[in-house]
Amino acid sequence: MRYDTIADLIGNTPLLRLDPARHGLPGVELFAKLESHNPFGSVKDRAAAAMLRDELPRLRAEGRTLIEASSGNTARSLRVLAGMAGIGLRAVTNRIRVAEVRDLLRLLGTEIVELPGLSECPDPTTPNDVYAVIESTMAAEPAAFHHLSQYTNDKNVEAHWAGTGREIHEDLAASGIERVDYLVGGLGTSGSTRGAATYLREGNPELRAVGVVSARSDFIPGIRSETEMWDVGLFQPDFYDRIVAVESADAIEATLTLARTHGVLAGPTSGAAYAAAVATLRERDLAGRDPHDPLVAVFIVCDRLEPYLSYLRARRPDLFGGPERPAPPTADELASVPRWSPAELAARDRAERLTVVDTRGAMAYRIGHVPGAVNIRDDRLEDMLAQGVPFPRSRPVVFACPVGEIALGFAALARRAGYDAVVLDGGVTAWRDAGLPLERGL
Amino acid sequence: MSAPALPALVPPRVRAFLADRRALDEAVAHAGTPVHLVFPQVLADNADALRTVLDRAGVRHRICYAHKVNRSRALAVAAREAGLAVDVASPEELDSARAAGFVPGEIEWTGPKGEAALRRAVLAGVTVNVDNLWELGELDRLARALPPGAGPVPVLLRVGEIPGTPFSRFGIPLTRTDRALSVFAAPGSRIELCGVAFHLDSGAVADRVRAAQACLRLVERAHTHGLAPTVLDVGGGLRQVFTADADRFDAYVRALRDGLTGRGAPLTWAGHTFGYHVDDGAAHGTPVFHKYGNTVTAPAMLAELLAAPLPEHDHRPLTRVLADNLLELWLEPGKALADHAGVTVAAVEFCKELGDGTILVHVDLSRDTITPADQEVMMDPLLVPRAGPPPGPPVGVFLAGRSCLERDMVTNHRVFLPGLPRPGDLIVFPNTAAYHMDLSAASALMRPPPPRLAVVRTAHGFLVTPDARAGTGRRAVPRES
Repeated sequence: MRYDTIADLIGNTPLLRLDPARHGLPGVELFAKLESHNPFGSVKDRAAAAMLRDELPRLRAEGRTLIEASSGNTARSLRVLAGMAGIGLRAVTNRIRVAEVRDLLRLLGTEIVELPGLSECPDPTTPNDVYAVIESTMAAEPAAFHHLSQYTNDKNVEAHWAGTGREIHEDLAASGIERVDYLVGGLGTSGSTRGAATYLREGNPELRAVGVVSARSDFIPGIRSETEMWDVGLFQPDFYDRIVAVESADAIEATLTLARTHGVLAGPTSGAAYAAAVATLRERDLAGRDPHDPLVAVFIVCDRLEPYLSYLRARRPDLFGGPERPAPPTADELASVPRWSPAELAARDRAERLTVVDTRGAMAYRIGHVPGAVNIRDDRLEDMLAQGVPFPRSRPVVFACPVGEIALGFAALARRAGYDAVVLDGGVTAWRDAGLPLERGL
Repeated sequence: MSAPALPALVPPRVRAFLADRRALDEAVAHAGTPVHLVFPQVLADNADALRTVLDRAGVRHRICYAHKVNRSRALAVAAREAGLAVDVASPEELDSARAAGFVPGEIEWTGPKGEAALRRAVLAGVTVNVDNLWELGELDRLARALPPGAGPVPVLLRVGEIPGTPFSRFGIPLTRTDRALSVFAAPGSRIELCGVAFHLDSGAVADRVRAAQACLRLVERAHTHGLAPTVLDVGGGLRQVFTADADRFDAYVRALRDGLTGRGAPLTWAGHTFGYHVDDGAAHGTPVFHKYGNTVTAPAMLAELLAAPLPEHDHRPLTRVLADNLLELWLEPGKALADHAGVTVAAVEFCKELGDGTILVHVDLSRDTITPADQEVMMDPLLVPRAGPPPGPPVGVFLAGRSCLERDMVTNHRVFLPGLPRPGDLIVFPNTAAYHMDLSAASALMRPPPPRLAVVRTAHGFLVTPDARAGTGRRAVPRES
């Protein structure tokens, strides 16, 4: 299909029916609204386009920069859409906690203002929340900025009423389904769930809207905890039949299920929505229900999986594997490693050719190392021991670490691989404390 | 629905004491009300918990008890007996630390210091955590004037204005630290750079990671000046847990906000908003009392910091980077050590009903006796009737202070008590050892600050002794040179 501007690709996203044999909920038709198919990758493309559309000419004429509270998807959409019109974006945020999200915003040219953590002894006269910072920034330079304010802007809701909700209704109606019983989505601004559910309630006043939040003091990127929702201007608690708090561990599990079982490569917020949808629907007793009249539920897949790899890695390193590691050294192997004192190493180093390996980080090596040592960081060394060690077998290898513990393990593994390996007893600390010279690196 | 409540977390040691009416009554009979009670064994428990985290991470460390958190002698002695070092911030705290048995090598002096304080620090032989370049120059001068054979004076450099961390007026701006390094490296210098320090007033681990990286850069620069610092001092700021029930805390805050926006009954006194701004029918912003809803314990926060990957060091965890660089971790917890190690007991003087039906419960202390820096304390006090069960039914009240100031309200938020108190009933304010007792204590109207007692559980029950008597005659105090 031909398009003339990228903005034309926003909306009309696919509605995917999940295979009941895979979601395992009898008597339920479960659909995923794939907002991840929007051109910049998220549900926020709709709100950004809707909020920006009528403002663009004026913003351009007045040369204003957008200022917005966003740490992710909205900033990305706004940055691209406004940037194409020559309008900049300053994103003010309490910390972007996902590295790829920050990197992508920077790559696109976003100015990011990250507020430091909350003071433990706050001064009530100088609040440091995002909105106070936006207000004071705008007051300081009255003609410089424009705040679209995704958390209070009704166009955010309207975009999902006229778009997301209508599309769900029309796509289902085309397949003979006239009624939606459940709409489930993560709560950030609450624009998508409110807009879509409002439209769908016109067809079925009994529709139950389920808002998904993160558990208290837990973190799922893109959604808030229930207490954090209280600050959101668009949020109307009474609108929802149910607010479900999801733990990040469960959201991640559901994210994996979406990807591996349903082929939907979606971010952890979508996982949270899926988990909440399944949990909510499973509670229903559908025993006596007419099999030809299943419950119809839709959840919103708000963005894609790829930007959250570091988030997933931090919480589930087990998912990412690594090279095969040799079995850890046994107590006997450790005990059989020759331990050289600093003085012994200094003497042997004068008399014969040794390979001295410093296992510490780069800064430590730069500050000072045993003269002539090479620097192979412990984590790299682990990989190397799994794949073959790049030292000559013809001379002894001396491993040196901070106090001799880490190096002992490497020496044992190297001995197992047939090297004449020893450990610097007491490590670089002992070497330094013995008054022996340290060599500086670059 | 039950009344809004802010249940305070009370550790078993303190709960056992409060449940033992004989011990509580004895303490009150001994000292009258109001009275501060400190629990040195709770501080020892807290120290154990932090040390367990540090030992498990295998990091060489020194925990300096931040004396400023409480003037108590018993807590200082408990810190020393727990094997901690101490961080003092005034000549009086130095005296107190010495009297508690700390030797100079265990004492670090932090905070801004004038000429007299610096002179005292140098003579006492304590480690000086330098706040600014003037202090450093003055120290250099004082050290050079020491008799031959004395010194060198151990110094930590406190770094400030680190990008990406909350602004602070303290510390040497990162951009000016090279001048500091050149003072240490100058010929004839008799001050020694032990290490680099920061202190952040936030609970955010991400901020500490930035600050630690900035300090590590400075450590490396110090080496290019021929200096070899061995300490990274990450300051204090480990958090306390005040609430026993975070959900009820959240529910109270929600009710309070509903009161501010007019959706519910007002819960605040005289238009206080606690940092919220009301706009579009919603209460926005972050309240000044947010720390009272915290659920992250100090050991958990410390463990997270130790394990935090440092992006500038190939994402190696902080502990590993410290070990690699042969650095020792110093920290100066105050709140985290004194968390739950004290309560304050007041007595009800009378109750008073205002024209609109609002009930004020007057107690025999002032707001500043238990409120640090005027920040609203969001923990329910406990009503302990002198005799008999609490007189029901539950009632929402404001606690009023004993001074003539309109602002002397002990609570500016409504507190729900199990019944209307009677004169002489006790009100116990929980968890007041960490700054609450001392930071803003005043002696207006010639009212002396409350006395302080130390409560220790022994095999024979609770032993309540004057705080000032703690540690006397237990350890020889070496004279200052």
